[in-house]
Amino acid sequence: MLKINSKTGLSSLIIFTVLLLAWVAGFSSRLFAVIRFESIIHEFDPWFNYRATAYMVENGFYQFLNWFDERAWYPLGRIVGGTVYPGLMITSGSIHYVLHLLNIDVHIRDVCVFLAPIFSGLTAISTYLLTKELWSAGAGLFAACFIAIVPGYISRSVAGSYDNEGIAIFALQFTYYLWVKSVKTGSIFWSCMTALSYFYMVSAWGGYVFIINLIPLHVFVLLLMGRYSNRLFTSYTTFYILGLLFSMQIPFVGFQPIRTSEHMAASGVFALIIAVAVLKYLQSVLSKAEFKSLFIVGASISAGVVFLTVVVLTYAGYVAPWSGRFYSLWDTAYAKIHIPIIASVSEHQPTTWFSFFFDLHVLITTFPAGLWYCIKNINDERVFVVLYALSAVYFAGVMVRLMLTLTPVVCMLSGIAFSVLFDLFLREEDTPRSSESDVDDEQTVSSNRRLYDKAGRVPKMKHEQVKESDGIGANLRSIIIIVMLLLLMLFAVHCTWVTSNAYSSPSIVLASYGNDGSRQILDDFREAYYWLSQNTADDATVMSWWDYGYQIAGMANRTTLVDNNTWNNSHIALVGKAMSSNESAAYEIMTSLGVDYVLVIFGGVIGYSGDDINKFLWMVRIAEGEHPKDIREADYFTEHGEFRVDAEGSPTLLNCLMYKLSYYRFGEVRLDYRNPGGYDRTRGAVIGNKDINLTYLEEAYTTEHWLVRIYRVKKPDEFNRPKIPFSKRIVKTQNFVSKKNTKRRKGTLKNKPVVIKGKKLATKQS
Amino acid sequence: MKPFILGLFFLYTIFLFYHVDGQSRKQGLSMAERVQQLTDMANKKSILKFNGNKFRDFVKAVPRNYSVVVMFTAMAPQRQCMVCRHASDEFTIVANSFRYSQAYSNKLFFAVVDFDEGSDVFQLMRLNTAPVFIHFPPKGKPKSQDTMDIQRIGFSAESIAKWITERTDIQIRLFRPPNYSGTAALVVLFALVAGFLYLRRNNLDFLYNKNMWATGALFFCFTMVSGQMWNHIRGPPFAHKNQQGQVAYIHGSSQGQFVLETYIVMVLNAAIVLGMILITESGGKGDPKKKKILAIAGVILVSVFFSLILSIFRSKTSGYPYSFLFK
Repeated sequence: MLKINSKTGLSSLIIFTVLLLAWVAGFSSRLFAVIRFESIIHEFDPWFNYRATAYMVENGFYQFLNWFDERAWYPLGRIVGGTVYPGLMITSGSIHYVLHLLNIDVHIRDVCVFLAPIFSGLTAISTYLLTKELWSAGAGLFAACFIAIVPGYISRSVAGSYDNEGIAIFALQFTYYLWVKSVKTGSIFWSCMTALSYFYMVSAWGGYVFIINLIPLHVFVLLLMGRYSNRLFTSYTTFYILGLLFSMQIPFVGFQPIRTSEHMAASGVFALIIAVAVLKYLQSVLSKAEFKSLFIVGASISAGVVFLTVVVLTYAGYVAPWSGRFYSLWDTAYAKIHIPIIASVSEHQPTTWFSFFFDLHVLITTFPAGLWYCIKNINDERVFVVLYALSAVYFAGVMVRLMLTLTPVVCMLSGIAFSVLFDLFLREEDTPRSSESDVDDEQTVSSNRRLYDKAGRVPKMKHEQVKESDGIGANLRSIIIIVMLLLLMLFAVHCTWVTSNAYSSPSIVLASYGNDGSRQILDDFREAYYWLSQNTADDATVMSWWDYGYQIAGMANRTTLVDNNTWNNSHIALVGKAMSSNESAAYEIMTSLGVDYVLVIFGGVIGYSGDDINKFLWMVRIAEGEHPKDIREADYFTEHGEFRVDAEGSPTLLNCLMYKLSYYRFGEVRLDYRNPGGYDRTRGAVIGNKDINLTYLEEAYTTEHWLVRIYRVKKPDEFNRPKIPFSKRIVKTQNFVSKKNTKRRKGTLKNKPVVIKGKKLATKQS
Repeated sequence: MKPFILGLFFLYTIFLFYHVDGQSRKQGLSMAERVQQLTDMANKKSILKFNGNKFRDFVKAVPRNYSVVVMFTAMAPQRQCMVCRHASDEFTIVANSFRYSQAYSNKLFFAVVDFDEGSDVFQLMRLNTAPVFIHFPPKGKPKSQDTMDIQRIGFSAESIAKWITERTDIQIRLFRPPNYSGTAALVVLFALVAGFLYLRRNNLDFLYNKNMWATGALFFCFTMVSGQMWNHIRGPPFAHKNQQGQVAYIHGSSQGQFVLETYIVMVLNAAIVLGMILITESGGKGDPKKKKILAIAGVILVSVFFSLILSIFRSKTSGYPYSFLFK
């Protein structure tokens, strides 16, 4: 009895240690950016989330829900409370609140910066729990270790990347864990917990749609496989009803769960499982022949009714058809033709095999083995993981961004594959000691085992020789183990390399490395935003392409026209039109929108490739979508169909606003001896239009490395005035002809009062 | 006398003929008549078929108040122009959409000139390729912009319509006849599966064959993971042949890939997974000799093919420091 106790104690100690180490490793590998730069919010979307969180912490939750942000989408404004998933802000806000209750004085920014790394540990734990339910604790530990450091997840959860995905993956995994648990037990408690966790997920990320389609799919496939059980019935019905009610509490989601096609699968399966339950009940009451006919009739009628209802509701307009983003997941050519704004985002591109390998390394090559064993040893919950893997791998193939949903399942299945393998090979033929290796962490167990091999070999010689005929030999065994450990080691170093090189740049502070390895920090973005906040009127409006909207609002605290919440395509198209028209046409648009400053990003000096000229074609395309008469993409290409900024570029391009603002006075600059003036390092060409004159705008500020250029839009009385040379600037007076000449030198007074003695002046009398 | 009169008569006849002939040459059809004829023809058929004479009468004649979009093509089977056939289909879609749309007017006509019927027109226009789309504006000669750049924008109906909009300011809302082939294929597939199931209704054990399902699932994973979806959307070349005639199987940058490359990756992935499964199987119970072979094969598969895929990956990443077994 005592021995068993100590064994469970030991295994739980191992589990605890491994999970803790995974948490620590996951947390610390996400800190590259903080150590190299500083504790700063990254990129674009996080700046909005941070701004919203700061607003909530300052003004309280209800104020936040009612927040109308007049500084975005000028002049439309944005109802933030109703157009945001508040889970992220609430999470960090409550952490901040609790810490302050404990008198730990932390700035909300630090909470936001470190939220995602902390949640990565929670993700590891929930992945462990889920994999343990699916396979074994050992596989769970492998999966937890994998997900703690895998680049596919780190890419969205480094310190400073304060985004929905950081907490959503935890919520996703935890919901799945609770769901599997509730299918296994059939208890209402667990399915209520599933619904609660689902509620958290809905509040955190739009990807909740993945859950609300995957769980019904799981139920549906289980029904097809004839694995209906009362447990399934209880858990799904409870989850569906509660989850539906909960999800509708989020203002941004609102009535979508009952009105859009994305959610219809869940209600269809809900109807189906009730029908199946009724049939099962009837089966127990009726005779076999009666039941058979009833089954066929009933099934076909109910299927037809459900199908017709959905079709009729869709046509009647009660159920909205698929939204563009979801539709583009099925019809892969859809977005490219119809929605340029979706196609323009690099995250929405399909995935190359390179990206898969880059983000998942050894896991992508081994997870199918785990899938194989899951299918070979199928049960209710493994059906779930199989469906999870297949759907996630499809979506990840269509969109790079959805690699994030693939990553957890790949970690789980790879964990299973490695666990099965190590379970067989680390276990010696002697059974008594083997149960220990149920929980095998790569490092500890391997060193343990090898020690044990050496020590245990001599006394057990006789015992082993008997068994030797059964095994494959100790040498081969250790070779296999070593190869596997090498693969895992390669994975670990790969993850660190990728995290350090690809996913740890804040993209708001750029770093360049000199030949001697010295590092230069280019802080142009913050320089420009700080200039804006200090030198412009508080209510000034800044026009820029939508990528920089959140940053301008967050750092410069100025009004923007468009931002990264791309909800209004026509407004964005208007800005795109202004950028791609010539100066006078652009001025009309800018005055009609009340623009005071224009901000462009220009990378030609330092060779920064993510600048506005490289994004320019998307502006043209988006503008063309709304204003096909005024903007034509073909005008911006040369006759040979090239996009060139040098002298051979099309005249439309060389005279459009974006070109002028980017290259204004750039022709005077010689960056080095080898190249002539006006040599653009990003495009590797000498610009075609070197003497650019601005009529309607004037340069207001250009940062140190020219990365950000800000222009002031002139007021109507400031331009188109004729320029007069200094010599001609004489104030003209009235025509006055002097009556003096050589003869009459004496001057005369006009209307000279005639003074007569004894009389008052005549003028005064009248 | 008689000969004289006869001669006079002869002369007169000649004159008469000459006169009539000259008149018809000079005036041809008036613009209104031409428009009328074109409209009549267009009502019958949305694409007008021109030979050399008709081309001169309707397209080359001035004055015009209408645009003509002409497709020069070679549809005859002996020319073996597959591209022409596709181009013609797309062109027909555009013409039909225009013909049955709200915007239909006699300002724009669609015509086609086949090489075998109007080779003189080809010579006249100095064309030696097909298909070519040329827009003949109402005033003046076609400029360089009036020839559609097939190389760049392709000849899908959408791009033709866009080009026409650019050249003539006539918006054509495309109406593609719904493509039933996908639906039909799906229906046929379902019918086949259903029929197969019905035929084998007494022996449905194969549905419970886990090996089959697992292989299918694995194959699906390999397909997706090797980037076939990217190929499907982007349509990359099969492999790249450079100027020296060497064939590159692997795309040099991390942004792109070739079709062949994805197949290679797919095979490598499958080999590694096979290796993993073999190793795992060798750990189970069974004949020790067989197990040994399985284990050795598995280890070799995993290590060799993983190093291969790693080295391909390394060749695409600049500055990637790690490799396994070979560079």
